[in-house]
Amino acid sequence: MTTLYILVGLATVLTLLSFVVSREASRYIAVSGLLLAGLYSLVDWGQTVIGFGGLYQFDTLARGLTIVAILGGLWALLLGPARKFEFPLLVLFAVAGIHIMASTPNLVVMVIALEILSLPLYVLATWQRNEKGFEAGLKYFLLGALAAAIFLYGIALYFGATGSFAVGAAGSGPLYTAALLLILTAFAFKIAMVPFHWWAPDVYQGSPTVVTLFMATVVKVAAFAAMLRIFTPEGLEVWGMALAALIALTILFGNLGALAQSEAKRLFAYSSIANAGYIGLGLFGPTGGITIPFYLLSYGLATGIIFAVLAMLSNQDIPLERLRGLWYRRPLLGGAMAISVLSVLGLPPLAGFWAKFMVFQEAALAGFWGLVVLALLTSAIGAYYYLKVFFLVFSRPTLVQEADDREAEAALAEFGSSEAPGIPVSSAPLGLTQGLMAPAAHTGLPTLSILLVALGLLGLLSILPALGLRFFSPGPTTATVAATITAPTVGYSHSEYRFITPNPRPLHHPLHALRAPPGGALTAGSHTLLDGSPGDSLELFANRSPLGLVGDCSERRVTVVVTLPLPAPSCEAVRPRGQDLTPIVDSL
Amino acid sequence: MIHMGLWLPLLAGLVLLLFPSLGRGFAVASAAASLVIWLVLFVGYDGGVAYYSQTPFLPELGVYYSVGLDGSGLLLWFAVSLVVLLGVWIADVPVRFLALSLIMQTGLLGIFAAQDLVLFYVFFEATLIPALLMLWFFGGPDRLRAIYTFALFTLVGSLPMLAAIFAVRYLGGAESFLFTDLAANPLTGPAATLAFLGFLLALAVKTPLFPLHAWLPGFHQQNHPSGLADAMGTLYKVGIFAFFKWAIPLMPEGFQQWQGLLLFLAAFGALYAAWVAFSAPDWKTLLAYAGVSHLGMGALGLFSGNMEGTVGALYLLGASMIYGSAMFLFVGLVYKRTGSLELMPVRGLARHTPALYVLGMFLLMAMIGLPGLSGFPGELMVLLGAYQVSPWLTFVTFVSVVAAAAYALTAFQKLFQETPPRPASDAAQASAVLDLNWREWGFAALTVGVLLLMGLYPKLFTVYLEPLGRAIAALFGGGA
Repeated sequence: MTTLYILVGLATVLTLLSFVVSREASRYIAVSGLLLAGLYSLVDWGQTVIGFGGLYQFDTLARGLTIVAILGGLWALLLGPARKFEFPLLVLFAVAGIHIMASTPNLVVMVIALEILSLPLYVLATWQRNEKGFEAGLKYFLLGALAAAIFLYGIALYFGATGSFAVGAAGSGPLYTAALLLILTAFAFKIAMVPFHWWAPDVYQGSPTVVTLFMATVVKVAAFAAMLRIFTPEGLEVWGMALAALIALTILFGNLGALAQSEAKRLFAYSSIANAGYIGLGLFGPTGGITIPFYLLSYGLATGIIFAVLAMLSNQDIPLERLRGLWYRRPLLGGAMAISVLSVLGLPPLAGFWAKFMVFQEAALAGFWGLVVLALLTSAIGAYYYLKVFFLVFSRPTLVQEADDREAEAALAEFGSSEAPGIPVSSAPLGLTQGLMAPAAHTGLPTLSILLVALGLLGLLSILPALGLRFFSPGPTTATVAATITAPTVGYSHSEYRFITPNPRPLHHPLHALRAPPGGALTAGSHTLLDGSPGDSLELFANRSPLGLVGDCSERRVTVVVTLPLPAPSCEAVRPRGQDLTPIVDSL
Repeated sequence: MIHMGLWLPLLAGLVLLLFPSLGRGFAVASAAASLVIWLVLFVGYDGGVAYYSQTPFLPELGVYYSVGLDGSGLLLWFAVSLVVLLGVWIADVPVRFLALSLIMQTGLLGIFAAQDLVLFYVFFEATLIPALLMLWFFGGPDRLRAIYTFALFTLVGSLPMLAAIFAVRYLGGAESFLFTDLAANPLTGPAATLAFLGFLLALAVKTPLFPLHAWLPGFHQQNHPSGLADAMGTLYKVGIFAFFKWAIPLMPEGFQQWQGLLLFLAAFGALYAAWVAFSAPDWKTLLAYAGVSHLGMGALGLFSGNMEGTVGALYLLGASMIYGSAMFLFVGLVYKRTGSLELMPVRGLARHTPALYVLGMFLLMAMIGLPGLSGFPGELMVLLGAYQVSPWLTFVTFVSVVAAAAYALTAFQKLFQETPPRPASDAAQASAVLDLNWREWGFAALTVGVLLLMGLYPKLFTVYLEPLGRAIAALFGGGA
């Protein structure tokens, strides 16, 4: 709750306060507000805070995604223009919108959150007062409004079909299907999935680079937060094929579109489209609530670094050629760029690989093998343009570029840095263009240290992805079922305990053995099963004889509490109530 | 110990990248330490998968940091450690190049030690990064094309393998990606056929198996003439090992579906590559195709699916890594003296550099499989194994062995023994060429020693390879 109050309250207060305090001060207030909100999201990690009669539900998913959004907001604030007080304000409002979006199970609140998030972004897109900026803003606004209208229409149908605005309401029939598909379309607009992506390259290119950074990383967080709540695997047969088709088109045309680009922001706009498709794969699987946030975090870090480097080069168009020799001209920027590009490409052992690995296996678990193969093949297409950037960074700079660098430095010394509103290229005095364009974002110590922190975080996720995954997993304390198991006394032939539950998803091996407790021995305490579906009723087995009902699975995760004494070694299985025992026992 | 052996080169490489002033001595020390660690592991080896260790890495997804060494891993660790030591010892390259070689060493060692399929995949792919950087920073003028060919062949090949990796676990029903788990739940049916195809694409690129070898000539031609990057690239040809360790045991049914095609490709690939090597314009092209030919032969042995073939394939793989890499380094020595990679850079080289001549002779004889040197035992066992499956394809491969003698000896004669047509000028040029210095003598002594050891006493390794070969044979109902 505190997080919500801080974000919304501060945004409101700062709106009024900005008229009296200085620009720098309002920026610092916004930064510290975001930090404070982030800290309060960490308090009582693993607990679900419920407020407003269930309209606000701050669970682990919401906490994780809020943190990702706050990181993106902080980054944009620290990189962004300091000369206008509106900028921190708009970012603050957008982050508040994402936070609400991530933590509500109610569709109407989602609409409000979507508007809170979108309106600041429309304004930010027009930040550059030139033709491209206006085009970007107008395009984004019109299509965004269209998406919101479609969303509302979908909600209306949803209410008609289910009689409820709550996500996850049971329903069936054509009305229900139409509702879900309309909602899916609306989100496809928001995250720019093919064929609803046409706005994205123009908007990304026309916006200041810092804003592009914010859009590419943070807007996805909001959309996927809502999608994770609406499109749960239980309703797969309703929306599965539609989403699969969208994803197939997105990853194919996103990557193919990027091949032909010669401007960096456009190229990464297409890359962002393709990545939206990859993230979507996570919606199919049983643990999407963990793997999608991981993807968003690692992708946000890597793309954030890329756009931050681009922002430090220029706020206007950046032809790919300008990246040539970055490693020799600005080693830190070049190195950060190179590592991030490889991470987005998904080359092991970088974090991007683990993220892709996780979402791909979600799709594989759900049986969408064709989509997995397509996703991997399109990743190979992506390798071409990512490697192009990678090797440009490591190419020797041309003589002209070296001369430009010197000129830029001279211009910098004379005129100071040019900030986001920028001087239009055409009106800049001849020869000074490069110089005025060059240092768009702050390149001082704070910015560079943020870059280093982001790199460090990316490295940490690369070496220890389990850490990131655990961060987004609900802790084992969220016990939904508990059972006391008395000790069986007979001897056992197997050396390992197993929990087995039938996989609720089609086309998958019918008996999917879940996590065996570390070390293979069942110990006292809670054990979380990462799979299972509502309505499953689980039973524990010891050496083919049932030990009794463990309990019902009311969420997607089941916790089994085991009380010793239980002799080891033994062999345990959990079966759904009423299912035939033979296949389980045979598999042990 | 195994962890130290695995990660020490990476650490040393990173330190060397940050502090290039440490120089070659540091790289040599690290490589020598690796070899010593290998020796300790070898002496302490007691059969099976030794030094096994398993730590949860992503336990939710069933991924473990799990390493261990079986007989094949032990042999290939030896090959890698030895070649890296030879390479950093002899090659005249910038220090950063040495650092990248050390970093790549960790990737290669990891490929052979990984006991978890995802970990294997990570090492398999990550090794690409230093290989690309070496080619990019130190390659020839036309390297961009070679890089793209290399990277895209590798990535297009290995990304479908990731889909196959998912299939092996989730359709096979294993609880984790651990080798023991996966091997206990082999994939069956049509899924196995398709999943094997996924592995096949990735591993054929890295075997290299005809027709997916096309990246190789460009890769070698454009790499640094010292031969260090080529030597590392030779070590990166891990396809046979991966077929043996992962693809075949996890999908025996899938393998059987493809076996006929694979045997055919291996045999005719070996012959075709030998033929191309015969008309190669320069040493690097020749060695590239010679490598394709030899490993095609090794693949033939492995694909026979019996004990002799498997042991022979693994032994040939290890031996060819050593003599193939040493050949590239040797050509680097020739380049240093003559400034050319052509088959006939100067005439009458043998008269002025007898020691170099003898070293080249040993390497060449090992390469063409002379009994007593390291190439022979592997080739013999491969042919013995393959004969049980397909005498005709064995004959085809045998022709490639004969062809190897032809192309290698012809090239060797051109390099060393052609008499000068215009004695005055060429003699003057050749007499300026120096024979081996003390560093190169060290390289020569170590190389020749290992060639002889592996040729005269193959039992040193085969005794550990035999159980592995029997396990493969047992998958297909072969003799226990």
